[in-house]
Amino acid sequence: MKIWSTEHVFSYPWETVIKAAMRKYPNPMNPSVVGVDVLDRNLDPEGRLHSHRLLSTEWGLPGIVRAIMGTSHTRTYVKEHSIVDPEEKTMELCSTNITLTNLVSVDERLVYRPHPDNPDVTVLTQEAIITVKGVSLSSYLEGMMALRMSANARKSAGRTPRTVEHRQTTSSGNIGN
Amino acid sequence: MNSVGEGCTDLKREYDQCFNRWFAEKFLKGDRSGDPCTEMFKKYQHCVQKAIKEKDIPIDGVEFMGPNKDKP
Repeated sequence: MKIWSTEHVFSYPWETVIKAAMRKYPNPMNPSVVGVDVLDRNLDPEGRLHSHRLLSTEWGLPGIVRAIMGTSHTRTYVKEHSIVDPEEKTMELCSTNITLTNLVSVDERLVYRPHPDNPDVTVLTQEAIITVKGVSLSSYLEGMMALRMSANARKSAGRTPRTVEHRQTTSSGNIGN
Repeated sequence: MNSVGEGCTDLKREYDQCFNRWFAEKFLKGDRSGDPCTEMFKKYQHCVQKAIKEKDIPIDGVEFMGPNKDKP
């Protein structure tokens, strides 16, 4: 089991950041996500918006990893549940893979909140728990996956702000999700 | 961005545009008036659920760490 977490600060107010986060894909900084679908969406009695989404990803695993895992299928699916609370100004996303579950489990949690000291700034806390099952090199593989995810998270420094800047320069977005 | 079902991408984009507009202009501004995207969502969903079945994507019965129910 490998756990990593990271924190990132965006110099934009919370509403701006989450509008961009909702439209995060496609994004050249993370080309692994090749499809996004909304499975369900509803408001709870407290007025929070729940969304359940299905993400299709192509991981481009190194050949040796595919050989160890015994699969050449690189298309994996991830289920994501997000909650947007416009009163508390929090957006929380939890995701987990729903394929290759007999081999690996990747649980990720992201929370966007205004910075406690500055409402014009937003803090993203991102954490992941990665567990590789039934493989003797599990620690090594978990470490590799953690490195990959960590690199993607660092790239996300350009991800949401890029979307934010793009949104701010286009008056009517025709950017699909 | 594409849908998991190749034939659903147009329906998806139409729904996404509607949702993104409602999300930014109504929901985040505290306007709780009705969701204008319901019909669009139904059509889109019908297509997606069919694709999920055809591709045998295991979306049901998955336990994962949910968001904290307690507010911070």
